[in-house]
Amino acid sequence: MNNEDFYRALTEILDVDAVKAEDILRDFSEWDSLTVLSVLAMADSNYGVTITPEDIRSVVTAGDLATLVDIRQK
Amino acid sequence: MNFTFRGKRISGLLAVVPAREHSFLEEMKNFNFPEARSRKLMEVMGYDKHRLVEPGVCVSDLAVFGLQYLFDRNFLGRDDFDALILVTQSPDQLMPPTSNIIQGRLKLKQDLFCLDINQGCAGFIIGLIQALLLLEQPSIRKVVLINADVLSRRTSPKDRNSYPLVGDAASFTVIERGAKDTALYVNLKMDGTRGEALTIPAGGFRLPSSAETAMLEDVGDNNLRAKDHLRMDGSAVFNFVQLEVPPMIESLLSFAGFKREDIDFYVFHQPNRFMLQKLAAKMKVPYAKMPMNVVERFGNSSGVTIPMAIASSLRQALATHQFRVCLAGFGVGLTWASMLMPLGPLDFCELIDQP
Repeated sequence: MNNEDFYRALTEILDVDAVKAEDILRDFSEWDSLTVLSVLAMADSNYGVTITPEDIRSVVTAGDLATLVDIRQK
Repeated sequence: MNFTFRGKRISGLLAVVPAREHSFLEEMKNFNFPEARSRKLMEVMGYDKHRLVEPGVCVSDLAVFGLQYLFDRNFLGRDDFDALILVTQSPDQLMPPTSNIIQGRLKLKQDLFCLDINQGCAGFIIGLIQALLLLEQPSIRKVVLINADVLSRRTSPKDRNSYPLVGDAASFTVIERGAKDTALYVNLKMDGTRGEALTIPAGGFRLPSSAETAMLEDVGDNNLRAKDHLRMDGSAVFNFVQLEVPPMIESLLSFAGFKREDIDFYVFHQPNRFMLQKLAAKMKVPYAKMPMNVVERFGNSSGVTIPMAIASSLRQALATHQFRVCLAGFGVGLTWASMLMPLGPLDFCELIDQP
């Protein structure tokens, strides 16, 4: 998985200028059910990976999310 | 599981929507979310207008109105059909069956097989399967399939997960015998273990409605709803649809012996535009072959969205031509079902308002 592309996709979903690996997902003002759905859809369409709402609850940072998608893809 | 039916067709179709139109922009203030986020939701999901019944309007009211319209215009003779199937999750009463209530209100003949089916978003396909099974009997000449729901009456106006997309509607589909060489192919799966994704918890015998079940509560997502209300786990439903629907369609196509591009239109249940766009992309179906504008114009009316999409997007084409269509419904149960068949030319195909 290309991390740069993944963070760019997150940036668009969260409507911010940049997302770093250590950023805490819940701290983004845009973090709500619509954002979670957009993340699930992005993981599915860009990486062919199914992420569940439970998965999302267990990750803290943007980096955790990137790792999860990366592992699922392999 | 797969089914094949032969020598039968849909001959006509009517969709009825309540005249009362609501707009998302006006309802936004009822939700406990910043306006900018609600606008974003509107843009992504394709919410705009939806049609809701006036307080007190029931499924049999929509059904009687629609059937009377068909009788008055001679689209259907009142003694020409031998089965009345009603698919609904918002019956007038627990008993008697609402199909019998409709029969009684219209004083229809006694030699009429009335049947209620409790099904939701896959309800058009489930109803068609039942209609096709009944037509195997020589004494059944035509079947009228009614899909109808007034679920807005069980949806919390303070629930941004469900209220903006819900729509009330009814459809009337006539199924009868057709050319002998016609084949209709069906694929159907169900999974009760995942049923919690779409429920109305209270109002049955397990948890009867009471003052307690009518109380609005925040389940932790800023939405207020009661146990009497429809609740939907949007993310779980999304995952279910993306995971199960594309392989179902592949399996149906291969069972029927067709390729993806042989299909003229993919008319799917419409939960919202977002989910359909993701499905189309995943299945590599061009947007032009998949109607998606029912929710933004009328709302998601459960089992009625497929006939409504046919009546609103394909009406003119179907008046004179035949198309090979793939229908699919997916939702409550969980249930996912699809049907591949020739459709048209139709004797009638209309979408009208119920005043």
